[in-house]
Amino acid sequence: MNQPVRKNAAPVILPEKQSSFGTHSLWNRTAYGILYLFLAIVAVFQIFPIIWLFLFSLKNNQEVFNMSPFALPEHPKWENYAKVWTEGNISQYFMNSVVYTVAAVILTVVLASMVTFAITRMNWKGSKLVLGLFMVGLMIPVHSTLIPLFSTFTQFNLIDSPLSVILSYTAFNLPITIMILLGFYEALPREVEEAAVMDGASINHIFFKITLPMTSPVIATAAIINMIYNWNEFVFVNTFISSDSYKTLTVGIQNFIGQYTTDWGAIGATLVISILPILIAFFILSNRIVEGIASGSVKG
Amino acid sequence: MFKKAYTMLLACVLLLTVVLAGCSGNSKETSGESGSKKTIKFMHLWPQGSSKQQNMIVTDIIKQFEAEHKDVKVEVEVLENEQYKNKIKVLSSSNELPDVGFTWAAGYMKPFVEGKLFASLDDVLNGGLKDSFIKGTTEAYATDGKTYGLPLELNIAPIYYNKQIFEKYNLEVPKTYSEFQNVVQTLEKNGVAPIALGNKDRWTGSLWYMYLADRIGGSEVLNKAINRSGSFEDPALVSAADEVQKLVKENAFNKGFNGLSNDEGKSEFLNGKAAMYLMGTWELPNFTTNEEIPKDFRDNVGFFKFPTVEGGKGDINSWVGGPGVGLFVAENSKVKDEAKEFVKFFVEKWGEQSVEKAGVIPATKVDTTKVELPQLYVDVLNELNKASNLTLFADVQMSASVAETHLNLIQSLFGGEVKPSDFAKKHEDALKKEEGK
Amino acid sequence: MDKVMSNKKVIALYIAPALFLVLALIYVPIVQTGYFGMTKWNGVGAKEFIGLENYMALIKDEMFWKTAYHSLMLAVFSVISLIGYLFISIILAGKIKGADLLRKIYLIPMLLASVAIAQLWLKIYHPSNGILNTILVSLGVENPPSWLAEPGLALYAIIVPIIWQYAGFYILIYYAALKNIPESLLEAARIDGATPWQIALKIKLPLIMNVIKVTIVLAVVGSLKYFDLIYVMTDGGPNGSSEVMASYMYHRAFKEFDFGYGSAIGFFLLVICLVVTWIIRKFTAADENVY
Repeated sequence: MNQPVRKNAAPVILPEKQSSFGTHSLWNRTAYGILYLFLAIVAVFQIFPIIWLFLFSLKNNQEVFNMSPFALPEHPKWENYAKVWTEGNISQYFMNSVVYTVAAVILTVVLASMVTFAITRMNWKGSKLVLGLFMVGLMIPVHSTLIPLFSTFTQFNLIDSPLSVILSYTAFNLPITIMILLGFYEALPREVEEAAVMDGASINHIFFKITLPMTSPVIATAAIINMIYNWNEFVFVNTFISSDSYKTLTVGIQNFIGQYTTDWGAIGATLVISILPILIAFFILSNRIVEGIASGSVKG
Repeated sequence: MFKKAYTMLLACVLLLTVVLAGCSGNSKETSGESGSKKTIKFMHLWPQGSSKQQNMIVTDIIKQFEAEHKDVKVEVEVLENEQYKNKIKVLSSSNELPDVGFTWAAGYMKPFVEGKLFASLDDVLNGGLKDSFIKGTTEAYATDGKTYGLPLELNIAPIYYNKQIFEKYNLEVPKTYSEFQNVVQTLEKNGVAPIALGNKDRWTGSLWYMYLADRIGGSEVLNKAINRSGSFEDPALVSAADEVQKLVKENAFNKGFNGLSNDEGKSEFLNGKAAMYLMGTWELPNFTTNEEIPKDFRDNVGFFKFPTVEGGKGDINSWVGGPGVGLFVAENSKVKDEAKEFVKFFVEKWGEQSVEKAGVIPATKVDTTKVELPQLYVDVLNELNKASNLTLFADVQMSASVAETHLNLIQSLFGGEVKPSDFAKKHEDALKKEEGK
Repeated sequence: MDKVMSNKKVIALYIAPALFLVLALIYVPIVQTGYFGMTKWNGVGAKEFIGLENYMALIKDEMFWKTAYHSLMLAVFSVISLIGYLFISIILAGKIKGADLLRKIYLIPMLLASVAIAQLWLKIYHPSNGILNTILVSLGVENPPSWLAEPGLALYAIIVPIIWQYAGFYILIYYAALKNIPESLLEAARIDGATPWQIALKIKLPLIMNVIKVTIVLAVVGSLKYFDLIYVMTDGGPNGSSEVMASYMYHRAFKEFDFGYGSAIGFFLLVICLVVTWIIRKFTAADENVY
């Protein structure tokens, strides 16, 4: 380390008691109550899909269509889970999903941060043009890219290669990631970076050691969003991958869609299994959003 | 130091790239000859999860085939219906079809045949297979006298009914349309939905329209309108549309049918809320062997033929139905001979076991004395033998774009948003436009 | 400062990898889509060059403009919904008890795959035993509508789950943006005696304005090319009453084998997105920003 940048990094944490709702008049308390009621109602609305999904995964088709969505079936169909686990190559799919998602998320977030840094922090002509080029990438619907992408990948012999999927995820998520980062970079104070320049730090030093840590809340945000997109994606996988050994968990869902009828309970079980890892990753990353503030408040 | 970090990062990304590319390159086998073994790429749409029996038979057949042909390996890719269709389209746009795959008949197949992507299978047919197919099934896969697909399924669409409900209201199986109307009205009065229908999928409603057209105007009127030797503005086709709307007005169908999928519509029948359900014979397992559905219900399902319309030209033994999926061989396959051999082998083996093991009626003749089947199947197979005519599902007969028009119009017709005469006229316009192309 | 920060080599190094990916995997398809749009092509046989014929037909295609209107409605409602998400985010980012847990709960639905969301809402909207109609009947409504089956309602009925689906996405972004505001600024305002609402309106909102602008563009562009739930829940029906531009494109290309026309729709959609984004930028260009 050529410079201890974080010498002032003692996080500014306010004592909780200094809350803005500190005055306890009756009116305030009522308002507080209404606010919590509102928040609680919204919370119930947001949590019930998960409960529903779990109950859904314990039903067979008959029960899925005939029972109330929140009724527990008389005999929970745990065998749906057994079915999902034993049929098909689920551990392989699972590993593939993890590899594709992690690789694409890292690639996307790092590349997008570099672009955003170059656009917002460095001085050069054409930065707006380049930004515009990236933004256009938001505007193309997936299905109109399938045929051209397929023929491109065929030419480079990347069909049926994990690389085609990872690169597609990265390319198609770069624009939105850059957009999300952009708003934050604009609001981020430049003083720390300027000070580092004065001290003779290199750009790479500034980017990797100062800017990236400072933006960790938004990086966590972008990573969560990327992760969810990649984890649930299936159009690219189905189109570019044909070997069973390279397919992802979303194949597990397809496995239960038949020509004339669909096994919904098993699909529910697949969905529950596939949401667990992402739920855990989400809770961990989502803590980073708050923690990030501490390291983000370098400027003190 | 930080330059190092950046270099490291780049190196990592590159390494990852190379590793992934490497491992994909290694295990990737291009179709055709790899080493001494020839590889046949085969795509189908029966995933293990939802179509267990079908999938098992396919796997068995492949094993047997590989055992008998030591120099051939069959590589399988399975996708569900919808994704399968999409992928086939993307693949065909780059001329990368698998060596063997599934196709549908007539209108669906036409562009592939015209684009010279499918190989003619006449040699396979003439090599002894021809006689084992039920008459009229391979014809649906023929263009200009050449056959491009060999069907695996054959379905007809009877009206299933709930015997318990019929008994409760003293109803008899209707033979004529006025008797049928009677049944509908009685059920409606008693608060039972007469007919289960999920018309979001649209082809479901099309079945009703097709039968009415057949019973009113005879078995040829719709075919003629579609193949352009007749007109869609034929009075029979207009009055069939009119009858559909009358049924809707009588509340013959369950509530909200236009927003329900076939699965949702079907569940109204399965849970005893609706008394009748018009659907293909692929549903038979649900009424016979499917353990998920209460035995009590399964034992009480019967079927009847769509009743004749008084004064109409239709015959009660004329069915809507026809072959379902069939096998194609890609024209530019590098292993065409082996692929054809495989198709022949597949069709033969499939025909021997599909009804008994998977409940799928094959397009090849079934010897009912040799297989053990539930009574409902035996009855259906007997009806099939008596059939005077099979009218292929309209959306399969038509070219893809006319089929979309037809399906949308069906939904509007059922929704009461289009008048019968306009319904016919819009069909006629779409067909004419297609003809002009 | 300037010298370090305008090192051409470094700039190129930072931009190039991402730009290369986007050019190769997004621009190449865009150009090809534009070209396919000028051909008559069923996706199988040879392409026949027909110039602007498809695009001319598209401009006169009533169905296309109907779907464009539907997409636009979706965009309008999506933007309006942002106000609600912003409101919730401000509360969550404030110092209230349990905010951390609430925030996590609020974001859960965004983890669900579209298949799951579609199934859930199909159960809600089911005409006879759906949650919504069960409630309506128990409240004494005699003949509640079949939400997804009625042409006048289907579009609006389906906009609700789409907006709900993205709640987590926007709340997450706003929350992170609000948390990014230096605490010292807020503290100064509090010492000056500002009420929480004054702080929210006068300090927080202006500080995250850039992020808000970004989300407006994301909401509009995302709505204009939206496809997922519509395809699963109504497939554009009944009779096209909930069809949007992207699902129309899909139907024309993949269902009707008209890849020429489908590509033209895809390309035109891009043009519409560009125009709308340009208009938004004009509207919000009051401050000197990249946006």
